[in-house]
Amino acid sequence: QDAPATLIADRVAVEGEDRLIAEGSVEVLFREARIKATRVSYDRMTDRLSIEGPITVTNGPDTILLADSAELAPDLSEGIMRSARLVLRQQLQLAAAELHREQGRFSRLESTVASVCQVCPENPVPLWQIRAKRVIHDELERQLYFDHARLEVVGVPVFYLPRLRLPDPTLKRASGFLVPEVRVNNRLGTGIKLPYFVALGDRADLTVTPYLSSNRTRTLELRYRQAFRHGWIELNATGSRDDLREGELRSSLFAEGYFLLPRGFELDFGIESSSDPAYLLDYDYSDKDRLESTLEITRVRRGEIITADLVHFNTLRASESNATQPTIVTDLSYRRRFVPPALGGTADLAFTLHGHRRSSGNATDGLGRDVGRASVDLDWRRGWTGPAGLKLAAQGALAIDHYAIGDDDSADSSYTRAAPFAAVEMRWPLARAGRGGASHVLEPVAQLVWSDADDSTIPNDDSVLVAFDEGNLYSLSRFAGADRRETGLRANLGVTWTRYDPAGWSLGLTAGRVLRQDDPGQFASGSGLDGTRSDWLTALHLDLSDGLSVINRAVFDDGFDLTHGELRLDWQGQRVELASSLIWMAANAAEDRPEDASEWVADAAYQLRRNWTATADWRYDFVEENTARAGLGLEYRNECVTVGLSLSRRFTSSTSVTPTTDFGLTVALNGFGAGRDGRAYRRSCAR
Amino acid sequence: CGFRPVYGPGGAAEGLNGRIALADPKTRDGFALAARLEDRLGPATAPLYRLDYIIETDSDPLAVTQEQETTRYDVIGRVRYRLTALDTGALADSGTVRSFTGYSATGSTLATLTARRDAYERLMVILADQIVARLVAGAAARTP
Amino acid sequence: QGAEVAFGGLQHDSTLPVEVTADQLRVDQADGTAVFTGGVVIGQGTMRLSADRVLVNYAAETGDSTGRIERLHATGNVVLVNGAEAAESQEAVYSIDAGTVVMTGSVLLTQGQNALSGERLVVDLARGTGTMEGRVKTIFQSGGGE
Repeated sequence: QDAPATLIADRVAVEGEDRLIAEGSVEVLFREARIKATRVSYDRMTDRLSIEGPITVTNGPDTILLADSAELAPDLSEGIMRSARLVLRQQLQLAAAELHREQGRFSRLESTVASVCQVCPENPVPLWQIRAKRVIHDELERQLYFDHARLEVVGVPVFYLPRLRLPDPTLKRASGFLVPEVRVNNRLGTGIKLPYFVALGDRADLTVTPYLSSNRTRTLELRYRQAFRHGWIELNATGSRDDLREGELRSSLFAEGYFLLPRGFELDFGIESSSDPAYLLDYDYSDKDRLESTLEITRVRRGEIITADLVHFNTLRASESNATQPTIVTDLSYRRRFVPPALGGTADLAFTLHGHRRSSGNATDGLGRDVGRASVDLDWRRGWTGPAGLKLAAQGALAIDHYAIGDDDSADSSYTRAAPFAAVEMRWPLARAGRGGASHVLEPVAQLVWSDADDSTIPNDDSVLVAFDEGNLYSLSRFAGADRRETGLRANLGVTWTRYDPAGWSLGLTAGRVLRQDDPGQFASGSGLDGTRSDWLTALHLDLSDGLSVINRAVFDDGFDLTHGELRLDWQGQRVELASSLIWMAANAAEDRPEDASEWVADAAYQLRRNWTATADWRYDFVEENTARAGLGLEYRNECVTVGLSLSRRFTSSTSVTPTTDFGLTVALNGFGAGRDGRAYRRSCAR
Repeated sequence: CGFRPVYGPGGAAEGLNGRIALADPKTRDGFALAARLEDRLGPATAPLYRLDYIIETDSDPLAVTQEQETTRYDVIGRVRYRLTALDTGALADSGTVRSFTGYSATGSTLATLTARRDAYERLMVILADQIVARLVAGAAARTP
Repeated sequence: QGAEVAFGGLQHDSTLPVEVTADQLRVDQADGTAVFTGGVVIGQGTMRLSADRVLVNYAAETGDSTGRIERLHATGNVVLVNGAEAAESQEAVYSIDAGTVVMTGSVLLTQGQNALSGERLVVDLARGTGTMEGRVKTIFQSGGGE
């Protein structure tokens, strides 16, 4: 039983049992279809509407049909429309002398012109249009099939294709060519990337991208993605033969995936591999200098976390070799937080098994050292509110580490260390309501920590790199790993003042310092934590409501000599997007940083006008006084075309890395496929 | 100078002590953030509020040498939080806190990996402390 | 423009005799009219016109009424039924000599599965055509002829 059709008009004449003639702003509604016309007559015997225009037919939000006259079935399944115009998703317009509706699914347009571009009275020729003898629009498959198609750019025929298939603007996912890209590279010559997307059912797809460049490289890039019921995987593999490394198959594999395991466990894996150190940079696949393949299993619940990690490293750095770097690292940890019945407060108990291995067997000064470690960390903390709003806390901790060491003749084969910690902390948070509804919070903090950790004989592999910021100003041990535990009696002092403005911006200032009874010499001079008085730590957080955030952190000594300074600026404005970071680090031999390091990195995008966007990125090295990388980009985008230009140069060079300049050009016709939606950039005719 | 102890008698945040139930953490970062929040706000003995949080982190390579070796990484973090009253479900406070920490990558692969994990934990401590400061300020603003 | 195919119900011979049944009747000799009230039903051949109140005008050829009805003016729940067609409205005027019925006031014409609603329906009984006006709404069963 078909759904009823509704007809509304100013006048309806009923002639005999079978003919209705409606006149005066006639509307026929059938399911989602709506026909508007000046005159419609309906003949029940033939079940045909004969309609006189101007006719507007809308069939759901994405399809609009315009015509002068038509004979149609009420449900639009069959019929013919004369001098018709089919508009898909307010973007793609197909104009034709005749449009035949067939089987409720196909629209066949004879001698058609298709375009997405805005046509204005003053320049009637669209930027591009496709002229075709016939176009068939398949509503079910959402595809457009062109016969004898000719692409014209500003009226000039550019190329001809006997057959052409393009996705209609509502299609999100279908096999077919993606946007080609022209690449000019000073080492790989002028080449073109032509990606082809293959949809393998609903849950998997394969993108095959040949990259061919004037006999300098023949490369194939493959991306395979698959979604499972409880997870997904993505593989990116590439293979190249080029004249940078004659007669050699260069390849890379980058894969990642996630699986939900039973009983709440989650598995993440990642694979990063490359056939030779320079390959990833030559083809701009990745600028990582150390490849990590990881397998992580995690379960996180309230008060309990179980983690198991396996990491394999492959360093591409010219200055180090995989033989003497720890390439296999495993960690297994079970950690619980609970309220101990008798004591109250919060207990935090963690069992950890760690191992890392260097493939070299060279036992001299740790070049081939392999380490296994079992640790038990018990931490207990209890807080009170003292008189006058003082927040007091007592803390105790015990870290027991047992080491088994191999391939290192300068170290014993095993060590055991127990490090007790005790601390008391006092916070005095104060608040004040300022003028105009602003609120201020001032919180001085004083923490006294004692610990006894004798780790002088344990080789230090995991605690070489030290950081000093508000995140560990009040922590019991500021070393990142377990090989070193902070020892002695010290006071961690700090104060934070924050102002919140009702207008939505806030300013936070923090200052802190560590005072030690005596200097156990655990920290190197470049860390800011050495000596009996540490450097000053200051931090500023400025958050403006219109998307601008400035964060500055500085560590400097009493003479205001900077040990470490960093400024980050992130701005998400209406027309500007800017992320910039300025960093200065003093030399620190203990961290293999022989000289100061200072760099300015910025990544900016600016919308010049509605259709033009300029992007720029650079990385400037102040110490070497030159640029490590610089890039410029310009994108013109309107309702029917997106043109992207990009120019970038990487200046870095080493025994395996060579400076490269890269120029990219992409030209994409908008309006085909759901991804290429240019409506937001539609030009307007009125000048 | 107008400053009054927040946890003092009649202080603004007296009602927050042990009164906030934290949403269950789902990730390693979430566990670290929740642990620090619980240390600062006290375990929720008689919760009146519920604190929900969404953590977003990103990593940025810095100080790239002339030999294309990355010697520093920044870990940028952002947490959007929401404090709702348990009984009525009404929104008591909400906002976004941002910060970053950094770690050097000049040491061995293991030293860098350990420094990275420590940088993420420090970032969660900083963000948790910022949330506590916001909640205290919000409570102060709410009390007459 | 007459339709060859007779329009089923609406085609009607208005010269047939007219019977009127009602609960009450009030005759007004002076202007030759009569008012029937209370469940009035007017029958003519196969056509039935029912209404709450019908004012009947008799043809006044020679000063006195000759008993022949010239015009019917029905008001209140007017229903005109003829074969498979039925039309409802608030008011209707049936001019017998002209053979036309003009129905006004939320008119609803149902014809088999089709239904037309509008403000004013003019039915030409001789030619069996009807024209509905005033933002007419038609619901018809699509999906091929019977």
